[in-house]
Amino acid sequence: MATDEAHATGGSEAARDEDDESGETTAADVARSDEGWAAKNDENGVIFAHARDLPPAFEPYAEEPLPQVGVGSPGKTGELEATFAVGVDGTTDLVADYARVPYHLSGTLDHDVGRPDFASAYVQSPTGGVAQGDRNRMVVTAEADARAHVSTGSASKVLSMDANYGRVDATFVVGDGAHVEYVPEQTILHPNARYCGETAVTLGRDASAILTDVVVPGRLARDEAFDFERYYARTTVDGPGGRILSDTTHLAPGSGGTDPRRAGVLGDYAVLGTCYVVTTRDVDSTAMSDRLAERLTDGPARASATALPRDGGAFVRALGDRADDVREALDAAWDEASRALLDAPAPDQRKY
Amino acid sequence: MNDGDASDPGAGGTDTSGTTADSTDATDARTRLAAYRFADSFLPVGGNTVSYGLEQFVQSGAVADGDDLREVLESYLRRQVGPCETVAIRAAHAAADDLDAVRDVDETVRATTLAAEFRESATKAGRRLLEVEAETGGDPVVAAYEERVASGDAPGNYPVALGLVAARRGIDAGEACLVHAHSFLTDMLGAAQRLLSLGHVTAQRVLDDLAPVAAAVVAANEDRDIERMEAFAPLVDVHAMEHERADRRLFLS
Repeated sequence: MATDEAHATGGSEAARDEDDESGETTAADVARSDEGWAAKNDENGVIFAHARDLPPAFEPYAEEPLPQVGVGSPGKTGELEATFAVGVDGTTDLVADYARVPYHLSGTLDHDVGRPDFASAYVQSPTGGVAQGDRNRMVVTAEADARAHVSTGSASKVLSMDANYGRVDATFVVGDGAHVEYVPEQTILHPNARYCGETAVTLGRDASAILTDVVVPGRLARDEAFDFERYYARTTVDGPGGRILSDTTHLAPGSGGTDPRRAGVLGDYAVLGTCYVVTTRDVDSTAMSDRLAERLTDGPARASATALPRDGGAFVRALGDRADDVREALDAAWDEASRALLDAPAPDQRKY
Repeated sequence: MNDGDASDPGAGGTDTSGTTADSTDATDARTRLAAYRFADSFLPVGGNTVSYGLEQFVQSGAVADGDDLREVLESYLRRQVGPCETVAIRAAHAAADDLDAVRDVDETVRATTLAAEFRESATKAGRRLLEVEAETGGDPVVAAYEERVASGDAPGNYPVALGLVAARRGIDAGEACLVHAHSFLTDMLGAAQRLLSLGHVTAQRVLDDLAPVAAAVVAANEDRDIERMEAFAPLVDVHAMEHERADRRLFLS
């Protein structure tokens, strides 16, 4: 598949869903419609994040009409597909990609000197952030034995909203023997933001993935914190033997018992970091979690690690007052996980 | 529950079907007694060996008195017991006729319980409950699930085991959720009494103060789909992780 800056079809989300009956759509539209993606889901046993239902807490938002361009209009439905495969020289290449605004992908970078077989791609966005009514979806596929690192060029801002919500879905399909990393910059939640994110990872045999996530509850430098309305992010990881993990982050400040600024939840910390190191390789998850915990002890964030179910890797939680502290903890976890899984250090990221 | 039923059968002298009413009352009383048994810390499922991270909260100084304890236990109820464990109890209760479906619930609880020590504590307690019930109740369904857990075919998490045995004993699913919330709190308060210089009256006050929260979280999660099972308490996670590597440990978790 060649790079294709697709032309948007316009119309509302409902119209998109009914495209099959209308008979007015092109083959490409059908292939990329919800039905088309769902069909792929059935064939390969791959779980697609964007095929998931909306969480009940978002259902009232979904009924709120948008004062600006409708859901599904140009620029409101970002799509990104990236497929990585091993070439003849044994290094991984980006062999297929498709991006629709606000996603943009400009090839791969070769700065990962410690891991020369990797392909690194930075997903970019020309927009200011996730706005109300945005529905973005990403599918990253690593074919057998591929090594891919995906990140973002800058922080993702979830902008202030007064109607509806923004949704970002990410699917990772990691083939047998492959390794995928998704280490994006932090997500910053502006006042009244409503964010729903679904992430689904499907691992083949002897495969692994490292995913990190940093959530910042506002523009902390201007004393803005926990003014957003709702943040929901669910991650699932499935392997050939079944589900390894299902983890949900659900933040709804100010609504009584659900406020996250409580003992045992976030306490007095502002920034939440998570790292999933998931694997179906033959590794001792407890030993790996001990290595990660050792790296995190006495670091700038309150952070530690534990072994995942099904001997499926390790899970890191990090809490801090500043995004940089949490980022530093997760970078250390990423580096140690890369050493444990691939016997190679994580690279310095050159974004600045 | 209607507490008047057992004490005044036929008090009005208008009893027309005495035998049936008596046997219904007797069955109902036995069901309730079974529920009390599951709520009681006398039940040998190792409730006195776990603290679900509370030991580390005390070690780190985050929990130092009854007020701190009430705060953090409220978070456990709202974040873990309600949206994860009571969802599992209800789902296992509803699936009790189909052990493959019970195992699916069990797998979901395992995938949702990310702190390794919590999985260990929950499966140890679940296995013990199934063993006790298989021995005492003589129920072939419970015995069959106990065998599947023993053979490694299913994890045997406590809320799933409780949902299953409650259904087989005729205990209502909502009642089973309250039983679990109560026994979770008494286990945690028992741990707190050994970790802190917490008086018996203070422990009872915390338990009583949290009763409305327990009732509220059971009700709030009544319709939560098993797909939406969640346990989000990052500081509990971090304390549980730190506890795994703590030098001195009184409790399994």
